[in-house]
Parts: sequence; C-alpha cells; structure tokens
Amino acid sequence: MSYYFAIVGTQDNPLFEYEFGTSKQGGDGQSRFTEQARHLNQFVLHSSLDIVEEVQWTSGQLYLKVIDKFFNNYISCFMTAGNVKLMLLHQPTAVAAGASTRNSTSVGVNPTSPQTEEAIKNFFTEVYENYVKAIMSPFYKVNMEIQSPVFRQRVAAAGRKYL
Amino acid sequence: MANLGPGKAAISKEQAGLRYPSNGKTIYHRPLHRSKTAELSQSSFAYLFSEMVSYAQRRVTGIQDLEKRLNLQGHPVGLKLLDLLLTREPARTQTRPLTIIALLHLIKINLWTHLFGRQADRLEKSSNPDTPDEYMIVDNEPLVNAYISVPREMSQLNCAAFVAGIVEGMCDGAMFPARVTAHTVGGKEEGEMWPGKTVFLVKFQPEVLEREALIGKG
Amino acid sequence: MASSKASRLGEETRMDKVNAELVVLTYGTIVAQLCKDFDSDYVEVNKQLDKMGYNIGLRLIEDYLAKSNTVRRCANFRETAEMIAKVGFKIFLNITPTITNWTSDGKQFSLVFDENPFADFVELPDDGRAQDELWYSNILCGVLRGALEMVQMQVEAHFISDVLRGNDTTEMRISLIRYIDDELPPEDD
Repeated sequence: MSYYFAIVGTQDNPLFEYEFGTSKQGGDGQSRFTEQARHLNQFVLHSSLDIVEEVQWTSGQLYLKVIDKFFNNYISCFMTAGNVKLMLLHQPTAVAAGASTRNSTSVGVNPTSPQTEEAIKNFFTEVYENYVKAIMSPFYKVNMEIQSPVFRQRVAAAGRKYL
Repeated sequence: MANLGPGKAAISKEQAGLRYPSNGKTIYHRPLHRSKTAELSQSSFAYLFSEMVSYAQRRVTGIQDLEKRLNLQGHPVGLKLLDLLLTREPARTQTRPLTIIALLHLIKINLWTHLFGRQADRLEKSSNPDTPDEYMIVDNEPLVNAYISVPREMSQLNCAAFVAGIVEGMCDGAMFPARVTAHTVGGKEEGEMWPGKTVFLVKFQPEVLEREALIGKG
Repeated sequence: MASSKASRLGEETRMDKVNAELVVLTYGTIVAQLCKDFDSDYVEVNKQLDKMGYNIGLRLIEDYLAKSNTVRRCANFRETAEMIAKVGFKIFLNITPTITNWTSDGKQFSLVFDENPFADFVELPDDGRAQDELWYSNILCGVLRGALEMVQMQVEAHFISDVLRGNDTTEMRISLIRYIDDELPPEDD
C-alpha cells in the first residue's frame, strides 16, 4: 500500500503533506506511487473535498472513514473540531492486489477491511493529537503551514506504527 | 489546492532552523493533557489580565476599540480550545457540533467548566421573532470579573469582551461564524442578587441559520 | 530564614486558583499580540514584556507580603533569593526554580527553571530570528525588578538561556544593584 497524507486547511489550503508506504507485512515504509500517480495525488485528494463538505454536516464523527474512491485510490478523511481535514489517500500496489492477497483483510493490502479502517483511525487520532499540539502554540495562526520537522517525524512514526 | 511542491518543501526544510534542547524535548513531547487539571493562582491571572488591558488601552481611542481589541485577542484562544477540549472528550461523545444547540452546549458546559470551573448559568434563544439568529449565554457571576483590578466601571466590560472573543473563536472555528458581544445586565432584572450578571450575545451569520434549516429538513 | 522554612511557607500559602491553561493561553495571546504590534521586533517585545512585568511587580508585592505573612525584611540578598524562589514563584506560578551560580560577593545569582508554565504549548516562530532575539518569558524579569524595588532593592534581571531557544536550561540572572534606602542597615553576612 502507498499512502499520501495531507492536512487541508479551512480554505482548502494544504497545511502539510507526507507520502509513505506500508510498514506492515514486511513493507519498507516506502511509497510505490508511479511518477504519474504522484502528480495526481494532490488533485485526487482535492477533488474529494466536495464530498467532505457534504458528509461533514451529516455526521459529527471526527473519523469519516473512506469518503471517496477514484480508480484504485481510496480517500479516508478525519475532520478536526476546527474543520481542518486530515486526509489519507491509500492506494494498493498493483502487485499486492494480485490473486493471492485479494481476500486478505490485512492493513497493508486491503484498503477497505475493518482492520484497515481501524488502523487508519488510529493513525488519524495520533496525528490529530500532534496537530493540536502544533496549533496550541500562541504563534500558530489558523491555516498556517506546519513546517516543524518534529511534527513530520511524528506523522512518519504514526504511519509506521499503524499502517 | 495550492502547490506545496517538493522544491518548496526542500527549501523550507533547510530554513526550518528551530533549535531544540539536547534532550530533544519539544511541544510534541509534552503530553497534551498534562495541565488539564493544573491550577494557578487567580492573582497571577488577574495581574496578567489587567496588564493586558492597560496595554491595550494605551493603543486604542475608545471603549469600543478596546473591546474589539480584547475580543480579537480572545479569538485565537477559542480556536485552540475548540480542538483541545474536543480531544479531551471520551471517544463516544467526541463529536463535532453540527447544530447551533450542540455548539452552544459545548460552550456552556465544556468551555465554561474548563475556564471557570463551572457551567454557564443559562442558555437562551432570543424571543424576538425578528432576531432568530441571536442566542444568549448567561453567566450570573462571571468568575473572572471578581478579581480584575482595572477601574471598576470598565472591569466587567473588559474581561467579558475577552471571554466573548474566546466564544466567538470557538463558533468561528466550528464553522458557525458569529459575532459575540458581552453585556452587563446585573441589577436590571433581578435586583441586586446578581450585580455582575453578564449576557454573552451570540449573533450567528445568516448562512448558519440557512444551513441549520437544510440539515433540519434532511 | 532557613531554606526549609521558606519552602514550607510557599507550600502552605493558600490561594484562590484558576485553571492553569487559562493563564498560559492568556500570556500567549499577550506575547503574540506584542509581536504583531511591534512587527516582530523582538527586542522591543522583550522591553514591553519587561515593562508589563515591572508594573505587575509594583502591585504584586503587597499581595505577596499579605499571602506569605512575611513581616520582617530579608536579612541579606541570599535570603531574598530564597524567598523569591520558594515563596514568590511557588505562590504565583506554582513552581520552585533552583537558585544557583552565586557570585562570591553574594550579589548575583541565577534562577534555573526546570518548569515554566508560561512555556507550555509554546514553539517560537521559525523565522530565523525569534530564537536569537525573543525572551518569551521576559515578563518575569520585570516582575522581579518591580517587586524588589518596592522593598528597597534595585535589581537587574535578564534571561541568559531558554529551552524555547534550544538551550538546555531556562536561566534567569539576577543582580543586586543597590539597596535603595541607604539609611537601612547594609547586609551583614
């Protein structure tokens, strides 16, 4: 599985981006997006913001699960209280989607299994906690990019831990 | 979505030159809820607050300006507390407010308890049919007013304006844009029982009521 | 006064309390507002914070004397240091900074802050300057200066390190300039 994670501000502006791959099932944590897909990730994520806007007023849950699918890309979303969106595009790698693993429920392979859903929830929850730490600083203004390398490490660690 | 391309990221990373202590401790290492129940002396708050007010007074020309300024200063606190307080809710009640009432309850209960150790006294909807967009959060005895040592005639107004800003920040952050103002009403309605009684008037933007109507239908 | 007695005084002093985060966030808005008003001229922000602290110190001393039940003046500057760290800071910020690095003439010491509630949640702006120029908690220097002036001590106080700047400690240096009322007996230690 390859992941593209982004935090999207209230003006649909990106606050943070991070790309990684699964660390489960012996994954090396590296993403396997093709060069072409990589260029599309941002666009794909952005296109599902309309759907987020619909869903966010029908459910008060923070974790909105998979809200959109575009070909082989699944978009999961987590809304913060301040209506900033944590979004994760997950894309099963072509090889992993082969016959032998099709029925697998494992996090690294199946993008919609309950296990994956739960793992993504845990990932979002951990990132959210770090996000709140970032915005608590008196110098953080709403919709500011988060540039802290420590924050990036924290997101990476959450990715390794759960995904 | 504007591009945060790799080139730019690389540059900003090089510039990202914050130094950290050698133990590596940063804001991300500090448990978010460590100071949840921590307390400090009221006087410390009173001193800080009155100094904040007198500083603000030197930079404005009238009481309205002053209130606006204090409101603006409270606003980011409200934005921050919105997320902080929600992350402190138990998982099953950890939901974003979708309706005006849910939001106002969050303010009346969670925000007030966090800041002042008790809930606000009442929530009211405007009974005037011309102002269905107005709600009132009533505090009979605003705790913070009690020990603010700015000139008496201004103190209640001042402090409440800051709190109004916090409330407004919470409303705005939750996407219920509103204008929040504080009004001292003590003595008018209930004699001397609550001389400091303060009403926080929350006036929501039209789009909030429109959305609420739509959600109600759905 | 013995050091242990000062500690006990700090512990025993009962105070009305408020939520610590309210105080911390309020202080944060003050510093952020100053940075905005002075267009991130951090040297000026430090000055303003010191000035605010000074104003606070002038008024706080009464409160301190009342709450700590201190009746007699400190016998010397070392005792003053004890009272600042173990009573003053304990009462108002619920922390007890460590007193250290005395000069041999007993006129300069450091307060080292293992904890600093004001700095909770804070990360300085990553603008290449704030970590070199801004003393985030500078209000505390002013508070000491103002409060001690009210009890006839002219002091100079400034931070020399801050974990927010990436230093390993947060340390404030306090120097006695002179006792203001010369008719009072000089310190005899």
